[in-house]
Amino acid sequence: MAESFILGLSSGSACLVTCGMVMFPYLMAESAGTRRIVADLSVFLLTRLIIYIILATLAWYFGQAIFSSAGVKNYLPGILYIVFAGMLIWYSIGRNPRKECPARIVTVIDNTKFVPVLLGIVNSLGLCPALLIMLTSGATQDSLVKSYIAFIAFFAGSSIWFIPLTLAGKLRKKQIIATIGVLATGLAGAIFLIKGITILIGGIINE
Amino acid sequence: MNKSFGISILYTLPMFLITFVFITGGKPNFSDPANGLAILLTFLGMNVLYFLMHYTGKTDKYRAILFIIFALSLSFTLISNMVETRNSMSFSQADVVECKIPFCHLVIPMMIIPAAFTKSIIFPGSIIGGFADISAMLVLWLVATIVLGRGFCSWGCFYGGWDDGFSRLKKKPVIKKISDFWKWMPFAVLIMVSLTAALTLVPTYCDWICPFKAVTEFEQVTNVESAIKAGVFISLFGGLVVVLPIMTRKRTQCSFLCPLGAINTLSNKVTPFTIKIDKNLCSDCLKCVEVCPLFALTPDGVKNGKVSVFCSKCGKCVDACSKKAIHFGIKGIPAGTMKNFSRNIFLFTSFLFIAVFSSGSIINSIKSLLNLIF
Repeated sequence: MAESFILGLSSGSACLVTCGMVMFPYLMAESAGTRRIVADLSVFLLTRLIIYIILATLAWYFGQAIFSSAGVKNYLPGILYIVFAGMLIWYSIGRNPRKECPARIVTVIDNTKFVPVLLGIVNSLGLCPALLIMLTSGATQDSLVKSYIAFIAFFAGSSIWFIPLTLAGKLRKKQIIATIGVLATGLAGAIFLIKGITILIGGIINE
Repeated sequence: MNKSFGISILYTLPMFLITFVFITGGKPNFSDPANGLAILLTFLGMNVLYFLMHYTGKTDKYRAILFIIFALSLSFTLISNMVETRNSMSFSQADVVECKIPFCHLVIPMMIIPAAFTKSIIFPGSIIGGFADISAMLVLWLVATIVLGRGFCSWGCFYGGWDDGFSRLKKKPVIKKISDFWKWMPFAVLIMVSLTAALTLVPTYCDWICPFKAVTEFEQVTNVESAIKAGVFISLFGGLVVVLPIMTRKRTQCSFLCPLGAINTLSNKVTPFTIKIDKNLCSDCLKCVEVCPLFALTPDGVKNGKVSVFCSKCGKCVDACSKKAIHFGIKGIPAGTMKNFSRNIFLFTSFLFIAVFSSGSIINSIKSLLNLIF
């Protein structure tokens, strides 16, 4: 649970760096006041939570099917963690300057009532390395409940960043905060890289 | 800034008396010749270095000698203590359960949140009494950090001498350009280890990351996880404490990893001591930027006469400046004024910290070496 929360927290900061500038105007532009901001943000977060619950369910059931044989179970999760963690490190440290928020597509929609829902869907389903790690994590849990807990922890960690989003414009030294967030994402990748190596070596020894 | 022999002796006299009282407890006991000789060598060595700082006007050169000896002797003392009490550098789960792990100041960032919310210390060490107990170490660090700010990292840290030492081995750096981006990494590490420690109630930095485990004590290798941990400690020590400092002439572990360094950086805001740039004398040669081991000086900063909060007041830039434009200062006193006064006050305070922190382990190491030889 702690790992998932930390992954959400660190990747949430990177999400804010890439998506904040797209999401912020859409969540706030049409707002008449704090109540509307809270309402829009709540819908957005609720949509994300629902998507994550669905993903937790799917990941666990697919995991049961894919990792049923001992041979696959000993190697594949470790390999997936290593690959996705490597991607997460590259994603954060490499910092492709052309990287764009997947939610940018939502900006073409005219009906602003659906924007928070659509933003929530696109934001949750953006196949970033952090989500791929979470899918691996959900797939390798002992039970469906544990998969839910892992995804909820990930949701909680990543959602923290959206709460002060309303204050984003007022923050001083945003660049420093963004840099620290990006580095923290790389570190989260390192944690899962080590986890992957541990699982893989453990699997080889168990063989 | 260098003084005459007599004046330098006068400046050294208070340090001489204080270190004498501190090291001997006011009652020198030379009944054990090895112990007596170790005390004498430590006492004289420290005061000679302090005298030379005043006599030559050079700070970093003599600070570094004591700082490096401190780091080496501390590791030597810790390892010999471990071997003596456990016959090994590694600790077992039983040692953890019995709270026998010596405390280290690097754990402090991870203790804050759990201590605030659960009122418990998440480190398996002795709270009061015993070798390197938690309360004494906390008080020492807190006082040193409030007084020196990030100066703690060059005048009080137990391990900084390792990468400081390695960073001096080559005369010219192999890697010359390193992005400023990386100097924010300790803050990312601080956030990560504080949160993971708060969530798991385990000091995660010590458990998984600390490079100095390689030269102090580490978890007994009994399974894949502990073997990987040992691999991480050794890799980080080799990379950040040995190889990169040699190649860059920078203290890379302190600059790019240490979470306590991040807290100490913030404490630079409260300390009265600082480094100042006298723009009337500065020729913008940027030699200070080149030699700064902690990326505290930038070309833009120097042009504006500003030193960043990353400064550990090691004095390397002060020693390197041929125009004497960069100097130790006190907040509130304008740059270029009261240079000698500020330096004397800072040197006395900071040297006192390093003398107090290091004397015990240096004496122990010399004593052990003497016993080994004779």
